[in-house]
Amino acid sequence: MNQYFIKKECKELDAFPHIIEFASKKIGTIQFDSLKKVRSDYFRFYYVIDGRFDWIIDDQHHILYPGDLAVILPGQSFGGEKDLLDIGAISWLHLELQQMERSGKMTMGKWSSLADHECKGISKILLLNNCTIVSQVKQAGVLLQNMQTEFINQEIGYTARVNHFIDDLFILVARQLTRQNNSRRDFPQTFLKLEQSLRENLSHQWTLEEMAALVGLGTTAFSEKVKNYTGFSPLNYLINIRISEAIKFLKRGDVHVTNIALEVGFYSSQHFATTFKKLTGYTPSDFRKKNILEPE
Amino acid sequence: MECIITIEIGTGAIRVTAFDMNGNLIGSSKGSYPTFHARPSFSEQDPEQIFITMLYKLKNFLNEEIHPKKYNVVCICFSSAMHSVLPIDKSGVPLGNAIVWSDNRAKKEADELKNSKLGKELYNATGTPIHAMSPLNKITWLRENDKDRFAATRKFLSIKTYIIQQLTGEYVVDHSVASATGMLNIYTLQWEDNALRHAGINKEELADIVPVSYSQQKLKKEYQTSLGLNDKVKIIVGSSDGCMATLGAGVWGDGKATVTIEESGAIRVIGKEVVQDEKQRLFNYVLSEGNYVSGGPTNNAGSAFEWYVTQFGDFKEAFDVEDCMENLINDASKVSVGSDGLIFLPYLQGERAPIWNANARGAYFGLNIKHQQRHFIRATIEGIIYAFYSIGKTLEDHRTIKSLSANGTFASYPFWLQIMADIFNKPVYIKQNSGPDSVACGGYLLSATELGMYKNLEEAAQKTKLTDGFHPKQQHHSIYQKHFAIFESLSTKLFDEFEAIAELQRNN
Repeated sequence: MNQYFIKKECKELDAFPHIIEFASKKIGTIQFDSLKKVRSDYFRFYYVIDGRFDWIIDDQHHILYPGDLAVILPGQSFGGEKDLLDIGAISWLHLELQQMERSGKMTMGKWSSLADHECKGISKILLLNNCTIVSQVKQAGVLLQNMQTEFINQEIGYTARVNHFIDDLFILVARQLTRQNNSRRDFPQTFLKLEQSLRENLSHQWTLEEMAALVGLGTTAFSEKVKNYTGFSPLNYLINIRISEAIKFLKRGDVHVTNIALEVGFYSSQHFATTFKKLTGYTPSDFRKKNILEPE
Repeated sequence: MECIITIEIGTGAIRVTAFDMNGNLIGSSKGSYPTFHARPSFSEQDPEQIFITMLYKLKNFLNEEIHPKKYNVVCICFSSAMHSVLPIDKSGVPLGNAIVWSDNRAKKEADELKNSKLGKELYNATGTPIHAMSPLNKITWLRENDKDRFAATRKFLSIKTYIIQQLTGEYVVDHSVASATGMLNIYTLQWEDNALRHAGINKEELADIVPVSYSQQKLKKEYQTSLGLNDKVKIIVGSSDGCMATLGAGVWGDGKATVTIEESGAIRVIGKEVVQDEKQRLFNYVLSEGNYVSGGPTNNAGSAFEWYVTQFGDFKEAFDVEDCMENLINDASKVSVGSDGLIFLPYLQGERAPIWNANARGAYFGLNIKHQQRHFIRATIEGIIYAFYSIGKTLEDHRTIKSLSANGTFASYPFWLQIMADIFNKPVYIKQNSGPDSVACGGYLLSATELGMYKNLEEAAQKTKLTDGFHPKQQHHSIYQKHFAIFESLSTKLFDEFEAIAELQRNN
């Protein structure tokens, strides 16, 4: 890859308001302060083409080798360990997404052809994995190289293609992260990890797509595996956890039913009461009354 | 039409099964719940999730399979895994999760007690080996290490006691589950004072002891309504899953033993007498008054093979364990008996009977340059079954075993059963028609006896018909004998090295 650098003001990027910076660079000599640690609101990808790079991402030290990709989320800090770029070759892309929140809400912008629920799934994976290095993704290098070729040649349809490549990059990262973090062999282990994520974010309105994406399976295969393993559909299994947690709150006696409902992920106390009654035969408040024994 | 329902509260899942009055299967349904490991030695489960999973499955099963077919439910019979401890407070609310059988936190407490005079007396009186699994040691651990929880505890329950109490309001524990707590005198069927004193609790802090056939309790009104059952449905408290599986496998009388091969496994016999083992290697649990289930458990049965499959299997599609397993077994069958001198010690999770060594670890022994991957597969399976055989041999110091009846998930592989027959040099039978599992069948037989259809459990057990099974080949047995001698000697000879390596692993 030859040296290449464009940023927001360049005319090549007129058609891409979401791209802040795109570059590929060979580093032949060490320059001080060439990569200072900076926190930014942009979404940043850094791909190592050649060399060995010591980087600090969100206060964590990482060593990257050719084929590795660093994914830096908005709000995270990133820079060289010694505030400089090591010798080698890298390419990078800075993006401004329409929206990216810690809650998992991510909107790409009009340029992207990813559906809303897919964005949600991808952002959940990025936020939950807490692992900002995707190792051995040569494909990411190919995507970045293809983007550069499109920028240089500006052949017919190049805006669409560049945007597709960016979508591709997000998809690649999401899929690779789930593969990297889940054994494709040990379903019980993988499911236990998913269970943990569900419990830690129980008030979140989980969708089937999000859960499947976290495990790295398509929705059909995911539903089938979960059903086989647990005896429940994924959403029914989730209801099980919600009700079990609700029961614990009910038995504690000091939390209001409406708060319990929201805390464990029902969208209203009405929804909670109906589901609870259908399963147990009790309304939540009745259950509370009749299942805490009078201390002797 | 009438029907009997059994509910099995297993290690990782609940299973609801229905039988018609003749013992034919109507249907079954399972729902799983997770085991949490807050620390490596901890294994806990959420009692509320177990309860909700049970309720959910029971309700759906009734609505889909039982009510539409106009079956009238006569009784519901429970069984559960052994050794669980669930502390509840003065309002009957659980104080945290239940500590389940596989939890190892009380290892130190168990080791200290085991080597004492009291330990030996308690083993003889209660029939439960002194081990971290035993509720006696778990409660002792809580007293020493979780003082607030111990102080706030009004009662120490088993998971089954809690689930039944949620449904009926009564705190009861059956002779069978109670006999696996290390605190029940298996001769008098009363709590053993010495054990309670050692744990630092009194009788009132435990549930009321009842026979396994106890059925004097009713579903709470709300559950009658929501489940569509009336107040005439008998709720039978039932036994432990181990005892149920033994009964359901049709093992009763001289010369018969059952082998359960699940994730973990066990060999058991039923008898009128308690087995007295000087070295405390075997358990004696109560099946019902005057009937004892004696035997030994292994930690590493299916779980050791699943470990192998997960690590080294050739996965064509994500998570396709079953296919992968079949292919491996197919490869293993091409290797000769004894795996050309490769021996596997399956102690991946330490071992219980007969060596009772939590520090024991796995090993492949005898590797040479000609061994291929398929030798490892076969050696893994053979090693798992050598471990069963070493329990069987211990049991044979006290009882004559002429044949085995195999059950559990891994008993569905003919390849395993033939190896078992050859290693034991005894025929191995399985139940006719693959049908419901032995635990559920045991629940049916117990219910049917309670309903007066059989004179007693002994007569009921004859109802289970076994197939003409797998017969030992003499020349294979001689080869296995030579390998087993090395296996047995390694299992004890490596004692110091096991301890050293376990210590290293604990510090990692």
